[in-house]
Amino acid sequence: MNPVEQARQDALSLFKELGLPNKCNEDWKYTDVSRLEGLLDIGGVGADVHSEGLGMVDLDAYRMVFANGVFDAAQSNLPDAVEIVSLAALEASVSGEESKALAKLFHVSGNEPLVNGLTALNAAIASDGAAVCLADNSVLDKPLYILHVSNQNNAIRHGLMLGENAQAQVIEHFISVGEENALSNCVTAVILKNGASLEHSRLQQEGKKQAHVARVEVKQFRDSSYTFHGIELGASLSRTDLVVSLSEPGASCELNGLFVLDGRQHVDHHTRIDHQAPHCVSRENYRTVLDGRSHGVFNGKVVVHKGAIKTDSSQSNGNLLLSNHAQIDTKPELEIYNDDVKCAHGATVGQLDDKQLFYLRSRGICEEAAQELLVFAFADEILAAMSNQVVRSYVEKAAFAKLPHASDLDGLMG
Amino acid sequence: MASNEEIQEQLGKREYEAGFVTDIESDTLPPGLNEDVIRHISAIKQEPEWMLNWRLEAYRHWLTMKEPTWAAVDYTPTDYQAISYYSAPKSKDDGPESLDEVDPKLLETYEKLGIPLREQEFLAGVTNVAVDAVFDSVSVATTFKSKLTEAGVIFCPISEAIRDYPELVKQYLGSVVPQKDNFFAALNCAVFTDGSFVYIPKGVRCPMELSTYFRINALNTGQFERTLIIADEGAYVSYLEGCTAPMRDENQLHAAVVELVILDDAEIKYATVQNWYPGDENGVGGIYNFVTKRADCRGDRAKVSWTQVETGSAITWKYPSCILQGDESVGKFFSVAVTTNCQQADTGTKMIHLGKNTKSTIISKGISAGRAQQSYRGLVRMGKNAENARNYTQCDSLLLGDACGAHTFPYVEVKNATATLEHEATTSKIGDEQLFYCQQRGLSEEDAVNMIVNGFCKDVFDELPMEFAVEANRLIEISLEGSVG
Repeated sequence: MNPVEQARQDALSLFKELGLPNKCNEDWKYTDVSRLEGLLDIGGVGADVHSEGLGMVDLDAYRMVFANGVFDAAQSNLPDAVEIVSLAALEASVSGEESKALAKLFHVSGNEPLVNGLTALNAAIASDGAAVCLADNSVLDKPLYILHVSNQNNAIRHGLMLGENAQAQVIEHFISVGEENALSNCVTAVILKNGASLEHSRLQQEGKKQAHVARVEVKQFRDSSYTFHGIELGASLSRTDLVVSLSEPGASCELNGLFVLDGRQHVDHHTRIDHQAPHCVSRENYRTVLDGRSHGVFNGKVVVHKGAIKTDSSQSNGNLLLSNHAQIDTKPELEIYNDDVKCAHGATVGQLDDKQLFYLRSRGICEEAAQELLVFAFADEILAAMSNQVVRSYVEKAAFAKLPHASDLDGLMG
Repeated sequence: MASNEEIQEQLGKREYEAGFVTDIESDTLPPGLNEDVIRHISAIKQEPEWMLNWRLEAYRHWLTMKEPTWAAVDYTPTDYQAISYYSAPKSKDDGPESLDEVDPKLLETYEKLGIPLREQEFLAGVTNVAVDAVFDSVSVATTFKSKLTEAGVIFCPISEAIRDYPELVKQYLGSVVPQKDNFFAALNCAVFTDGSFVYIPKGVRCPMELSTYFRINALNTGQFERTLIIADEGAYVSYLEGCTAPMRDENQLHAAVVELVILDDAEIKYATVQNWYPGDENGVGGIYNFVTKRADCRGDRAKVSWTQVETGSAITWKYPSCILQGDESVGKFFSVAVTTNCQQADTGTKMIHLGKNTKSTIISKGISAGRAQQSYRGLVRMGKNAENARNYTQCDSLLLGDACGAHTFPYVEVKNATATLEHEATTSKIGDEQLFYCQQRGLSEEDAVNMIVNGFCKDVFDELPMEFAVEANRLIEISLEGSVG
């Protein structure tokens, strides 16, 4: 058995040992995944699903399209000079030492933070993914746009490795066609070498019955910087575990998240930032807009390890409840084992400001439109951190379309 | 503070004694817990049948429960069969004969707190004097008692209340913290030996702060206290528990339960200064303090405030909570927790908003020094019907020394769109600039730190009655001595 197969086999045994997470586990207190029981098998991979004309079509980017978890070369457009390949192809071609290196991408340890049965299952069964390896001092001249289109259960695993001082922008976009009750299980592993910098966006826009579970794992070395934008608009059940370790001095990360939910949607983000080295900076900003009977969960944990002096960490979480049936559970956690730190977090739950509403209404804007405008402004603060304007305006439109009176506002928004 | 050997010695002594103490009339029951022990306790207290059954029910349920392990504290589990569940009053040859035999460190602390000699002896448990002290206080107590009776206030040991006011006790005991609430509460229900009972009748404003009396009342209180305070419609009482001087106490485990019942328009202010023996510099010895405190605002416009200053105990596990059932009821929680050396504290509060227009405020200040670990664990829950509920939470931690830890685990659960909640937390050390500023103006480093710490705790100390605030201030200075620089 080659090392990759071995790693996948080990992951499968780990999954069998861990099983699906349940509510007895503190990390899964608010999210019930028992309904995923029947959705774990990825079955007939690659059943045809059309991806033409879907996603952000006017984005000037390198494209990688995965249809039900299988790389679709015909729809993709990749640079020649840079090493971006399909993981399945890579797995088939490597041998010897390279195979050992690749096996690391499939290695799952039950002791790592937030690792659960679903993470292990992904390593065991993932059918494909993007394998990106940027050489030292190289800059990806256009963003890499990874589009996932699905209509059945799928499992995908991406590995992004940026060499010293390399720079890239990666956008992951998840959509589904049809109204299937299916599960997407996605893992993205990121390694940022000294001085590397990555802007990583994840836009989850799957169908109303879809379930989505994801893990993003980031390991940062000296002076590297990582920016994450997690946008949750779709799926009925979505859970993302985001684990960032700042392992060498000077590393910094910025995590932004936005949920716009309605109906019976349930979205849960668990983030964990490990400050393992001195002089690292972390910023986190999450906002949720909850309507209907939706349920938002945010758990942001910052761990400052012994010796991580001069840590600077701040976190803020704002929640807007638009309906009396919506629910938010938030827990900003700090765990600090060191005195020379500056850490802060804040969380708010509330409604729209009457004064602001009055201001808009006194200028002739109807109540619904005024409300919508304020909600939009609240949400857009997160999107303002996106550097790519095409992506930002796509997300803005998609988020905006979820608001109940969006049409009243079209005129105002221009 | 009592040295390790002293405690060891005392523990050894107790086990030895236990060998031949079997008579229920004597001071101490043999170690171990079973239904007979509970029957004995109940018999000693001359309790009615229903009380005994209530205890047994709790005990039977306790047997099926597991000790919780979710708190961020690390300790060797207690052997519940090695504890003696009834040992009051403390046997007379247990304590030192005179102050000369008391640990000089303990005396030094008393001196700094400015506690009169007489009281020092009392607190240190010097046996000859303790009797005197009781004598003294009995007379004092009587004067208090007549004043309270005049106002209609009932204030007595809970075992007395069970005999004299069974109807009141039956109605309220266990109605806030049920027998099966949690592991430690169930244990307490089964074996509690003493505590206080307070009933403030309708419309009565308790004529005095129930504090001085409690000091005396607390004498020889066992390790399982049970306090029940009921403020009937429109009543008001301010209650102070504990004392600022370190208590010399041999008990390893304290599992107390405090229940507050607040009816329409009533208000209870409950303040605690907890300074049990924290163990020595290496974390040997010290009290395990596992307390369940809960207030139930049953009536509309009921108000409750918990103020706590926690400096003692090796392990603290304590979450004074407020259930805001009545419309427009208000819950407040103010806390200063100081952990030094190897102390561990996992403390915080729960605010459960059920009624309309309910309000809660949480101010928690944690100071961690040496190798201590401290956690704030809180929950703010706004139920579906908690229209316009409002919460403000602020929890700040101050770190002194690079080996200590401070953690925050605030749970926020909101199910109502009109609820408003703000939560803020910061963790930092004392800024070099702040220290420099003070030192530049001629303060020594230690004074500067004290000043900054006092400023940090001010929001909470402002809530304490004046004399207590002064003592609490000094107490914190003493606790932090030597952990600076």
